[in-house]
Amino acid sequence: MPELKQNKVGIVSCSGEELAEGTVSRLAALKVLEELRPGETVTICLPLFLAGGEGDRAFARFYPTIAIDGCEKRCAFRATEMFSNTPVMGIVISGLTREQGLERPQGCRKLDETGKKLVEIASIQAAEKVDELLGRRWSRREGVLEPREEDSAQSPKSAPGTEPGQTTCSCGSGIPVLKLKVNAREVEFLALPSIFQNFLENGQPPSPQTLSALMESVKLYTPISSDIEEAARAAVAKAYKAYWDTWQERRG
Amino acid sequence: MPEVFVFTIDKFSFRVPTDRLYSAEGLWALAKDGIIRTGLSDYFQQRSGDVAFVDVQPGGKRVRRGELLVSIETIKITSDLHSPLAGRIASVNPAMQRSPEDINRDPYGEGWVCELEPEDWEEARLSLMTPQAYFAYIQQDAAQELE
Amino acid sequence: MPAKKKLILLPCSGVGKPFGTITREAAYQVAQEDRPECTQIVPLSLLVMGDADAKALLMDAEIISLDGCALACASKMAAESGAQVCAAFNAMDVYRAKRQYKPQGISSLNEAGQQLARLLAEQVDAAVDKLTEEGTQDARA
Repeated sequence: MPELKQNKVGIVSCSGEELAEGTVSRLAALKVLEELRPGETVTICLPLFLAGGEGDRAFARFYPTIAIDGCEKRCAFRATEMFSNTPVMGIVISGLTREQGLERPQGCRKLDETGKKLVEIASIQAAEKVDELLGRRWSRREGVLEPREEDSAQSPKSAPGTEPGQTTCSCGSGIPVLKLKVNAREVEFLALPSIFQNFLENGQPPSPQTLSALMESVKLYTPISSDIEEAARAAVAKAYKAYWDTWQERRG
Repeated sequence: MPEVFVFTIDKFSFRVPTDRLYSAEGLWALAKDGIIRTGLSDYFQQRSGDVAFVDVQPGGKRVRRGELLVSIETIKITSDLHSPLAGRIASVNPAMQRSPEDINRDPYGEGWVCELEPEDWEEARLSLMTPQAYFAYIQQDAAQELE
Repeated sequence: MPAKKKLILLPCSGVGKPFGTITREAAYQVAQEDRPECTQIVPLSLLVMGDADAKALLMDAEIISLDGCALACASKMAAESGAQVCAAFNAMDVYRAKRQYKPQGISSLNEAGQQLARLLAEQVDAAVDKLTEEGTQDARA
């Protein structure tokens, strides 16, 4: 997972209309999204992974996600893993039911008491994971989230040809940006430091193959028009080489 | 294909094409062959939600700058948008009646709202934002919202 | 009397807007209350994962999609799976016909949302009747 500032967590829910467990997973996801952690979570629509939700796919690729599934088929977990990135947590309602020693829930359309209880348990588990991921703790006494711990992670040194100073997107999303010179003009590349870090951690040295894969990731966040594509490609290649070399030097 | 500015918040990406001007309310204005085509910006439509109803002032009507041009209703909001220029409404996109969701699907293309024959374009354009200014404006707006 | 062929209902699976819930409510109304003998719900999540059983069901059935928004995931997923949609509905269209019913709530729909779900279910019921009638006539022919 790239080191993006983790200010949001994605919740992916199974749709499972044919099973009561599916309804439990949807309602548990909604409880986290609407009641327990509304400011810290966003929903990711499962069919949109395939039906054109580029934003959903990109989000799940760069931010942590929690999958809540109804059954052992684990469609939400597996689809997120297949189309974006591995979720940091998977809750499976059928397994949770067994763990809790409960009977199977009943009522796809209107849950029985067991179903409602499972909604509570699953949503609390997911909310606690959200807190852990965001470096926050829930104050049970105060009933509020405790202040966020300061992020002490070190930022990598700016690569040559980039502009130091502006490290995150000015929209406030916390997404880091890197400005590169493309055709003598400054272009802001969203999430580029995180993309570089991700490739570096995967041990992908600068090469034509790496560059092609890099550009695919870059385009998820920053649309590149065809007239500047070649220049943008050259700028990204140069910046990644500098990033890679800096890391190698640090390792000695 | 014009250059497009984009910024991303969570899973939402907001696009600002650089070939047109913008009002702070969220309308865009694109001049072509003496006609000004207008529509809703991507930022405005995404923040407003799925468009259910669009009421555009009728074709042929003269509107003053700042006068009501179009009202939209989504599940979340009902919003009035005002004309960024004075002129006569030359045509209204028929899709606004048939499939107003075109605004969500393609806000800068098939989801255009109406076309005006301008009367004060040279003056009106000065009161509109450049793509760069509008891009900065919506980023600031989004940042304030997040706070 | 020829056996009635099952119709597959594909509701939107979205959890971010009331319209997704309206399609699910309508699908449950049809499959569990109004026309249980000839309809069955297939979850979109199975199609996203390319579940072989779910895809096989689609191939051998007539499909009714119930979409919640313009992205039309249910219709698109049916097409992705190589199946053909016989009747397509969108909850937004039902709302457009009944502007006075403004739906609110996702986990629990307000009364207006429930009204829209009932109206959508009625439209789906009519489509089911038409399709099953056609199927019966085809079988007789």
